[in-house]
Amino acid sequence: MLGLLLVVLIIPYLIAAYGLLFVKLRWGLRLFGAFIVATIGLLTAMFLVEAYPIIARDGVAVFLRTSWDPARESYGVLQALAGTVLTSAVAMALAMPMALGVAVTINEVLPARLRGIFGSLVDLTATMPTVIYGLWGLFVLGPTLQSLINYLPGGMMTSPYTLFTAGVLLAIMITPYAAAVIREGYALVPKPVEEAVYAVGATRFEAALIKLRYVRNYILGGFFLALGRAMGETVAVAMVVGGNYARFTTNIFESGVTISSLIALQFPNAASYQYMVPALFAGALLLTLFGLAINAAAIYIIQKWQI
Amino acid sequence: MTAARKLINWLGLGLFALLGVAAVVPLFLIIGDIYIKGIDAINRLGGLWHFLTALPPTPFDEKGGIGPMLVGTLYMTALGALLGIAVGFPLGVYIGEMRREKFANVSRVAVNILVEFPTIVVGLFVYAVMSLAKQSLNQYLLDPLSKALSPVGGWITQFIGPLDGFNAYAGAAALAIIMIPYVALITASAYASIEQQLREAAYAIGGREFNALFVVLRKAVSRAVVTAALLGTAKIAGETAPLLFTAFGNTYYAPFTGPTAAVSLWIWYAAQTPYSVQIASAYGAAAVLLTIILIIFIVARIRG
Amino acid sequence: MFTWSKTFYQVTGGKIQVNYQSIGSGAGAAQFLGKNLDFGASDVPMPKDKYQQVAGQFVQFPVIIGSIVIAYNVPEIAYQKTGKYLNLTAEVIALIYMGNITQWCDPRIKALNPGLADKLPCKDIVAVHRSDGSGTTAAFTLYLSKAYPAWNQTVSWGYTVNWPADQKAKGTGAKGNEGVAQAVLQTPYSIGYIEFAYWATNKDKYDQVGGVAFVRNDNDGKYYFPTTENVAMGAAAGLERYIKKYGAPPAPDADWNPVSIELSNPPQGYPIVSFTYVFLWKDYAAEGYGDAATKAALLKAFFRWVLTEGQKPENIVEGYIPLPSSIANIGLEALNMVKP
Repeated sequence: MLGLLLVVLIIPYLIAAYGLLFVKLRWGLRLFGAFIVATIGLLTAMFLVEAYPIIARDGVAVFLRTSWDPARESYGVLQALAGTVLTSAVAMALAMPMALGVAVTINEVLPARLRGIFGSLVDLTATMPTVIYGLWGLFVLGPTLQSLINYLPGGMMTSPYTLFTAGVLLAIMITPYAAAVIREGYALVPKPVEEAVYAVGATRFEAALIKLRYVRNYILGGFFLALGRAMGETVAVAMVVGGNYARFTTNIFESGVTISSLIALQFPNAASYQYMVPALFAGALLLTLFGLAINAAAIYIIQKWQI
Repeated sequence: MTAARKLINWLGLGLFALLGVAAVVPLFLIIGDIYIKGIDAINRLGGLWHFLTALPPTPFDEKGGIGPMLVGTLYMTALGALLGIAVGFPLGVYIGEMRREKFANVSRVAVNILVEFPTIVVGLFVYAVMSLAKQSLNQYLLDPLSKALSPVGGWITQFIGPLDGFNAYAGAAALAIIMIPYVALITASAYASIEQQLREAAYAIGGREFNALFVVLRKAVSRAVVTAALLGTAKIAGETAPLLFTAFGNTYYAPFTGPTAAVSLWIWYAAQTPYSVQIASAYGAAAVLLTIILIIFIVARIRG
Repeated sequence: MFTWSKTFYQVTGGKIQVNYQSIGSGAGAAQFLGKNLDFGASDVPMPKDKYQQVAGQFVQFPVIIGSIVIAYNVPEIAYQKTGKYLNLTAEVIALIYMGNITQWCDPRIKALNPGLADKLPCKDIVAVHRSDGSGTTAAFTLYLSKAYPAWNQTVSWGYTVNWPADQKAKGTGAKGNEGVAQAVLQTPYSIGYIEFAYWATNKDKYDQVGGVAFVRNDNDGKYYFPTTENVAMGAAAGLERYIKKYGAPPAPDADWNPVSIELSNPPQGYPIVSFTYVFLWKDYAAEGYGDAATKAALLKAFFRWVLTEGQKPENIVEGYIPLPSSIANIGLEALNMVKP
């Protein structure tokens, strides 16, 4: 019955919320906020319920162990969290500059005729099915990166499929999202502001920097969008990250695993084991907590710098 | 203007351009690769119309298509996008416009967290809800409903009726949940960036808050909102993981109340077989998907 | 399975649609038991604990035989260059995946391959395994467990295992057979296990960079090359051993885990053999399926076709091996147990 209630009440709730918008706008909007908070709450509740068996058995050990041994029903997700952190870090470090580059290039460097085409093409890549990215990573990016890294002195990539490969692939995948958001903001910089900037004699580069600062809200929005995408990407990462569950590593040039790809890779067969499904949901729980931590840090930073 | 500033100007812009190009080169490579292989595949597998309507090929077949997959993806993406925009847009307005409120910030955090969930988990969530609800939903709502609608014609059972464990609506729901944060975040950025003066002017003109926010400020934010809708729709059109346990997939034309085919699921499967005809069909499918999205983008940009 | 489904669809004039999606062996079993699916398919039989929950209510039977090959990438001894393939034993393979044999010039590998010994380079071996939970891994590790007891003690077998080579940073994972196939082709000095079909359709590519190994069957000491005949020989020999041990061929509603244990590492033939199993309920009405009679009839018709017409060479896709009639008959017997 619970499920039925859940499903049946959603439509009326949304209709009511919409109706309320016309009458008491603010309360109507708040209902939508409540909707999303409730959704997250339900999802987290599901994680807790599903993960309960392994937490009951192992306590917090599942969050601290670093090996994955189904034959002995011993699971640990810490190495997966490390993988998520490392791949996201690599991805964001590469993607944010590129996204800024795309936004500025489109709006400042390219002639007007090319802007639309270039922009549409970048947007198009956001639509690429992730499995296509995965295949490209499998066939092209992995081997290319391996040759490249091993060519440099001191580079050691024994396998084409490592955390680094996943990070680079993620960067390519998430750049369009961040870029789209930043571009939107950039294009909406009001004419008076733009004219004022040039009136004081700024070069195009200096104007670009000022405009970027002006749209920092958009950049922040794009940052979180891209970061979320990077942390949540399952399929493409699963295909290139290398699947090393047995060892905790901080070397991005080694094979590894992320929490999202761990779930994607192991879930289909997890039902055959007693504690694997709970372990996977424990991983999801860990990812949620990590996301909360990042958000808290971001709020703190923003308040400190008063963005 | 000093020479130093000029130099910095060129270097700086050059750096941005370099970054922009670096972002875009792999993308173009991938797109090019897909279209080259995809168009070749479509030709080999029977031509465009055949490819868009026929059933998928087995390793023995020489011709094939993605007919059921196309229908499934279009249906589920449309429904998912509708719901995603319907919820995402007001949510974005709330987060962006009413930033001072504590609850708005809580919602923002919730949205940020939703974005980072592994997409397969969202699918599992919908699956869990579906499992709980299926029995009673069918019994109390859908059976009587489909009986009541049966005079309309047999075709209605393709859309409405008792649901199987795996069905198109579960798939659409999962896609909608995934899309909501994208629409919300971009809309929020748009509303948050409206300067105070413009906002005050809008309120002054618009009177009622609703008028101010949605009618007067429309021009200011509509581009961003359209982008949000497009980006979100494009994203869910290509999603695979959330559909695995909700729509499940199909290789035939079948009612939407049962397991439903999707282009992304077919690509997922076919690209990982060792049989060249199926791999070719995967590339063809990817090319078709990209083209559809491109058309939607262009149409929307022209009109909006 | 998809091929059978479509051929059957065509054979019945478009009347019967059997929708098969590959979501993984474990999911196949789980969804079947959860009654979300009308039938389930899996690379390993119904796991013991699940079997006990539903014993007697369902049947399982094999529908096709598959195999796993050991592919390697060592340019110095590529087949195209030397005209020879490597000989390997379960012990050596196990030691490689345990990270104990680390280089291609290891004396243990040389001992098995006197003809190629001087060409084997002293490069580190990269042991590629599956990153996703997989029936292929299960069959491969089951084989190693049975053929090399030390493996069984340290690693055991399953859809995913704790690869010792990973702990020593000598291994890497790739997703899907396609992933492992690519990884081996792209990574010099690597070795990997892949489903027969993935090698059979790409033989030339492997021959250029290395090749595929002859695997020794420790029970009769002979080296076998992965061919359809050798695999069929292995499957039949394994079944024979089961019959000898238990007195009769396995019943469709029995627990098939002992069967897969006997089938692994058979007395003769290519030693790495796996079945694909199908699960059906005995009584669909009693299990609560809507439209049970029609469903059961359809399923029976489909699988009857699969076990007879479907086993003919023109209906078997490349890389898989048809069932010997003795095994197919078990399936037909199973169908008789499905009501009506």
